[in-house]
Amino acid sequence: MMKPFCQRIRNVALLCALVSASSSAVAQMSAREILEKVEDAQRTTTDSAFNRIQLSSCQFGVRDNQITCAERPRVKALESVGVNFGPSNKDTRSVSIVTEPPAEKGIGMLSVTYDDSDQDNETWLYLSALGTVKRIASGNSDDDTEPASIFGSEFTTEDQDTGKLDEYTLTLVEESSEAGRDVWIIESIPNAERARKTRYARTVQYIDKERLVLLRADMYDQHDREVKRLIASRVELINEVWVARSLTMMNLVSNRLSNMAILEINTGINVPEDFLSQRTLTDVAFRETELQKLREQID
Amino acid sequence: MSHIASLRRLLAAAALSPLGIVQAQSIPDNIDGFDFDNVSFGDDLFAQPQSNTPEWLEPFTFKLSQQLFAQVNSHSVGRADGSTGNRSAALENNRFSLLSRYQNPFAPGWLLQASAQAKVYWPGDYEYRANAERIDTEFRLNEFFVQRSSSENSLKVGAQTVVWGENIGNSVLDVINTSEFRDLTIIDIEDARLNQWLVVWDRFVGNHQMSTFVNLYPEFNPPPVRGSPFFFEPAFNLTDYRRDQALFEIGSQLRWSFAGSDVSLMAAYLYENQLFYSAPSTGLGDAQSTANDYLLLGLSANRAIGKLLLNLDIAYSHDILATVLVTPFSPNEAPYLATQALNKLGATLGFEYAIDNDQSIILGLTAEAKLSPNSGLANNEVLLEDEVSGNALLRYSKNMRNGDLQLAVTVQSALDAASMLGSVSLNYALSNNLAVMAQVIATSAKRDSALAVLDEDLRMGMTLSWTF
Repeated sequence: MMKPFCQRIRNVALLCALVSASSSAVAQMSAREILEKVEDAQRTTTDSAFNRIQLSSCQFGVRDNQITCAERPRVKALESVGVNFGPSNKDTRSVSIVTEPPAEKGIGMLSVTYDDSDQDNETWLYLSALGTVKRIASGNSDDDTEPASIFGSEFTTEDQDTGKLDEYTLTLVEESSEAGRDVWIIESIPNAERARKTRYARTVQYIDKERLVLLRADMYDQHDREVKRLIASRVELINEVWVARSLTMMNLVSNRLSNMAILEINTGINVPEDFLSQRTLTDVAFRETELQKLREQID
Repeated sequence: MSHIASLRRLLAAAALSPLGIVQAQSIPDNIDGFDFDNVSFGDDLFAQPQSNTPEWLEPFTFKLSQQLFAQVNSHSVGRADGSTGNRSAALENNRFSLLSRYQNPFAPGWLLQASAQAKVYWPGDYEYRANAERIDTEFRLNEFFVQRSSSENSLKVGAQTVVWGENIGNSVLDVINTSEFRDLTIIDIEDARLNQWLVVWDRFVGNHQMSTFVNLYPEFNPPPVRGSPFFFEPAFNLTDYRRDQALFEIGSQLRWSFAGSDVSLMAAYLYENQLFYSAPSTGLGDAQSTANDYLLLGLSANRAIGKLLLNLDIAYSHDILATVLVTPFSPNEAPYLATQALNKLGATLGFEYAIDNDQSIILGLTAEAKLSPNSGLANNEVLLEDEVSGNALLRYSKNMRNGDLQLAVTVQSALDAASMLGSVSLNYALSNNLAVMAQVIATSAKRDSALAVLDEDLRMGMTLSWTF
């Protein structure tokens, strides 16, 4: 079960970039151009980045017109460091270390993901109980035909997919307002090939016109029933990129929600090349020393 | 939802809340069709929990476990001497375990790491019975080392593990540390793998890692604990090895990676983990133990092809000991056991395939062959061990309920099918801290197998763990 586990760690690290965008003002753009801008910004937030992320999931209910957890949330937390590289800067090398829950504390993963679907991703998992590093067969970016839950949350791998706009029919439906912000409402309908891989027959996205940040997304199944809703909040300008530091995905079928809180997000830092190596997984003294150097860059 | 159903839900919430599983909330009976456009999130929904853990406790992780396991199949067991005996269903494990881990990078480039276990054996546990029907306790220090790392070097001194080989759990190269298998169930991996006192120096240059260890106090696999399913009554006392000379082990591994593969070469001077016991010269008292040194040369490699991972470990062992039966030429003398040095070649081949995001399957094959086993034997000597031995392991794993529920089905067999083990386990994470594992283990063994005593056994049990 190592491959699914490590994939979840990797995708949580990438999810922090789910809703972010460049602050540059945009006047008249097509739906595709708007979403391309949003995706470009996603990549900048994983480049030379040091993040701390917490993922909380629970059954939810509604009380006094407010959504509340009906149980103590399941919490996963991790630290990740990543850099982009390769042609068009679309490949990513990252190290992620689990800090919560206690039973998984210390598990680490080194991941190299390639944008080119012909090239297999590479993943090594550090098993803290055994004190050894193990390579995991990750397949390539197009292998995963079925969306997978990320770390047991309501976020799935397809929620963080980028670069697949060609596989959707995109329509700028209208201009409206959401959470007090002017937004474009864009509808995405998958083509036949993508439809085989996705659980969403239609997605409606609410993009902040000024900050180019996704504020909300409604996902519908083939019966045009809304099955999930994503709400973004705590939008902050970080290194000239607007980032939503709190993402909440509500599964309206299972009444379960997951919140991803970006506790720390630091981009544009200088990550030494030898830090993103297997040594960082096994050599805690080395890792902590290098992480301290990264923290000093931030401070 | 009816009032009865609501009441049932409230009662369930009230019953579970002391365990931290559920916080009772006013949940609407039906939120289908609820207008989410007009609701907001509660202020405390995503509040970061305030940690009240004192700073000095931060480096610690604790795991409390209570395990109950029983052999539930009453049956007759055939013995090697041809007789049969009865095996009754009985509780075997009723034990409580505290595992603590400490990891503190106390200064730049420095790390102190330790882990220890304490166990209590309650009534019904085989160790309780072996302790004259009294509650027994045990403490074991596992890891305890200091590490100093610089830009290209790392030095670790203390009790630690060194794992060689790509196949986890059944590699022919995973022989640096000793191990102890008391029974078929383990609570923590530390139950089986014992740490050794080592000095380990790692040097990192580019894509290469050179790792060297020195062990100035090699230890050996302990004999089975009295009362355990693996215990047999020895003819003589099996004591710790009497060190009448200084022992040491040394080994090095060179490891590097390239696209889709990792490769390692290793060489070591070691002692066989299992001591050889022979009858005391006087015929009474403690058995004589022999520690055998040998040379190990190894190669390990893996290759990822899409969702398939191939692992290969190869070990060549020079001058290991094998047991031989010597029949004296004189008819007045009784046959006796002796040892013969020979060479061995072993390999473990592993296939791991990720069926999809939630399912995987692993097949591992291990085989070890004694090279020219009869070449050094006299006419009156016969090798008592199989020339080729090994095992096969097949495991299927599946994640369910968003990963909170994990199923594992395992079948393990000797290559000659003399013994076989099947296991089904379910591990459910009840909360961030609480997990329960239920397991069923069935074993089958031929009468001449080393595991004959486990034939037709069926074990069922569960382990409840609280980690914080």
